[in-house]
Amino acid sequence: MFKYICKRLLYIVLTLFVILTATFFLMNKLPGTPFDDERFSMLPPEDQALVLEQYGLNEPVYIQYLKYVQNILKGKFGESYVYAGQDVSDVLTHRIGPSVLVGAQAVLLGLTVGLILGILAAWKHNTGIDYFTMIVAVLGVSVPNFVLAALLQYFIGLKWGILPVAFWESWSSSILPSIALSVSVIAMIARFIRTEMLDVLQQDYIITAKAKGLSKLKVLMNHAVRNSIIPVITILGPIIVNIFTGSLAVENIYSIPGIGSLFVDSIKMNDYSTIMAICICYSAFYILVILVTDVLYSLIDPRIRLISNRAE
Amino acid sequence: MKKSALSFILIFMLVFSLVACNSNTNTNTDNTKQDALNVYVSTEINTLIQWASSNDTSFTILNNAFEGLYRLDTNSQPQPALAKDYKVSEDGLTYTFYLKDNIKWSNGTEITANDFVYAWLKQMSKEATNGYSFIMNDYIVGGNEYFSEDISAEEVGVKAIDEKTFEVTLIQPTPYFQRLTVLPMFFPLNEEFVTSQGDNYGLSADAMIYSGPYVIKNYDIASGCNLAKNDKYWDTDNVAINDINVRVIKDCGAALNAYNAGQISKVTLQSTDVPAYKDSEEFHSGSNFRTDYIQFNTTNEKLSNVKIRQALSYAIDRNVLVDVILADGSGTGVGMIPYGMNGDGKKTFRELNGDINTFDAEKAKQLWAEGVEELGYTPELTILVSDENVVKTIATFVQSQFKANLDIDVKIDSKTLKARNEIMDGKVSGVTYDMAITAWGADYDDAMTYLDLWTNGTPYRGNYVSDEYNSLVAQAKQETDNQTRTELLLQAEKILCSEDMVAAPLYYRGFAYLQKPNIENLTVHSFGPPIEFKYANFK
Repeated sequence: MFKYICKRLLYIVLTLFVILTATFFLMNKLPGTPFDDERFSMLPPEDQALVLEQYGLNEPVYIQYLKYVQNILKGKFGESYVYAGQDVSDVLTHRIGPSVLVGAQAVLLGLTVGLILGILAAWKHNTGIDYFTMIVAVLGVSVPNFVLAALLQYFIGLKWGILPVAFWESWSSSILPSIALSVSVIAMIARFIRTEMLDVLQQDYIITAKAKGLSKLKVLMNHAVRNSIIPVITILGPIIVNIFTGSLAVENIYSIPGIGSLFVDSIKMNDYSTIMAICICYSAFYILVILVTDVLYSLIDPRIRLISNRAE
Repeated sequence: MKKSALSFILIFMLVFSLVACNSNTNTNTDNTKQDALNVYVSTEINTLIQWASSNDTSFTILNNAFEGLYRLDTNSQPQPALAKDYKVSEDGLTYTFYLKDNIKWSNGTEITANDFVYAWLKQMSKEATNGYSFIMNDYIVGGNEYFSEDISAEEVGVKAIDEKTFEVTLIQPTPYFQRLTVLPMFFPLNEEFVTSQGDNYGLSADAMIYSGPYVIKNYDIASGCNLAKNDKYWDTDNVAINDINVRVIKDCGAALNAYNAGQISKVTLQSTDVPAYKDSEEFHSGSNFRTDYIQFNTTNEKLSNVKIRQALSYAIDRNVLVDVILADGSGTGVGMIPYGMNGDGKKTFRELNGDINTFDAEKAKQLWAEGVEELGYTPELTILVSDENVVKTIATFVQSQFKANLDIDVKIDSKTLKARNEIMDGKVSGVTYDMAITAWGADYDDAMTYLDLWTNGTPYRGNYVSDEYNSLVAQAKQETDNQTRTELLLQAEKILCSEDMVAAPLYYRGFAYLQKPNIENLTVHSFGPPIEFKYANFK
């Protein structure tokens, strides 16, 4: 196992390097500079050159690239072009908190409610509960989270005045965005679990369990649910990445100082160092989650082996 | 089975609606506290470092936490602030500012002329990353040379004669120089404090000292900042509101909800929201010193004929654009210089020069026919725009006007802002533009902020080169007599927007907003520092 993880970590470093390189060169194809174009283009060419030189942007792309890689190896993301004087790593650490809090709550809520709904739906197959769950699931998948976010804000925040409309001030500000983000998770998990459960409930071992006189609940919890949960881990990885990395729309609607809007803003403003840093962090996170998923897999399901032991 | 599902859903909906009805009773709780003013900005506060700040959001905070020689009053006229008075030499080239005696930084240090010298020199050098060095270097002796590090600081025309006397030497007479000093770029900085903070200056609230009516208590780029009354400010007795919370809300809909929920006291409306609130007593509107216009590329063969360009301008009914399409307080673009901008000191520029760009379908058709004949073919035109919502709406309107009044099909080419700028700057090889919708916001309250733009002949300004125009602007820059100077500028605008039709103004960007009725004198300016908290008070 240890050897396997080491090998995977090596691949991760290689993958990140490829991503870093590709992003760097693609990003340099973005039109414009990190400066206010209208005013920047009005400077005489020699002054423009001076400003570019100040930021090291006058050098050929490959030199800039080598310098960047050098900095990254030293663990430095560099200074932001847009947030004057701020280190990109400071900006990131500052912004990642809100996104992770909202994301974690959304995943937790989505997972809990999704599981319950999914299990109930399968258990009470073809009843009102089942239909209700499926309606929720279809709605959850088809209604975009920003529409839901706006509706929640309007009704719960404005009309009923239960929770804050926007701003990032107390924990209560994080409830509505978490709910808005969780609905698609609920929908996905519920549908997935239901299908799996229905499949599992047809298996021979369930019949065996019933035959040996176990109560309905025990059969469900000990045999059916446990076996249905395995595939959920597969989809959970991407869901977590997707939600933790922030949602531009939901962050904007609730004025959350998160990382999703930072990413989009940095691209719009050609803030090269921030774009790079976020790309690297996103990718690293994604790859790590995939690794963790694979490892978890082998722990939960003994049938899955990470290393093929042909000798045995 | 089906029946039970249906009844389940019905029960669910019933319960849900009951909850909804019940909660309706406690709506519209007004959370606005009397002692704190809650406002918002629509973009992040990228930076509060004065020499790195370039957008309205940063200016909003800077203008209220810092102060310059002069400050705009509720009528947007400059009033003595840190300066008590100034004197101009007879040739109009030397400005001597006398500072007030009782002015202090928020840490108790005296504000002196040296603080101005330090801040201004910083803004004039390469260190200034806000791209605004030109706003000093174009006027002050030695500015450009200092920027390119050809001369030392002592040779630049900013001097501290003594602790309280600050002298500035200009390259040419600049009647609006006093009005420039209200801009954040011209605010003082305390050298000792700034240097002691090193790279941390401006990154957090305690890494700054303040000279304005408010101090910043805390500051976060993405969520906003809290301001408190500055008790060291010279005029602190006349500052009514103790606390101001500035939040960042990027989404217009969210801002409106927050306003209606009483979480903020003022909200800017989008055009689409205007009809719903137009009759509310909380509704206000105005227009900025910001002109949106069509830039014609004069060296593009298809638009090289002036009659073609004039026809296009005459074909646009700007009143419909402003009243029906935008309906947010925007002003009809009847000339390059917006309404309200200073003319000769007595009348506004617009009053003096009248309506230059009007709608005349007949004239448009006739000019178009003549132009086509002179050109030898009917040009197929494309209009380059950025992909912002408002701009696309305007482009579609303009397109429909060309179709209706000239019977021509103009294509719309929509690009991201950065990509549009690259094309307009001529940085994309082999790609040029016919005409483009762009805008310019005034840096200061004088027509020169617009008219100077077209003297460089750059692709962004339509490659326009005219000796007559350039000489008018150059003469105006040298002229010491205000009357003659104004005449020269009036003439220049006529050439730009009529005789040579280099740019066709469309409208002056408006702003419509709602404001809680308990607030007074929350002043919004058409240019420069966007908003003034100093004079605001609760009724």
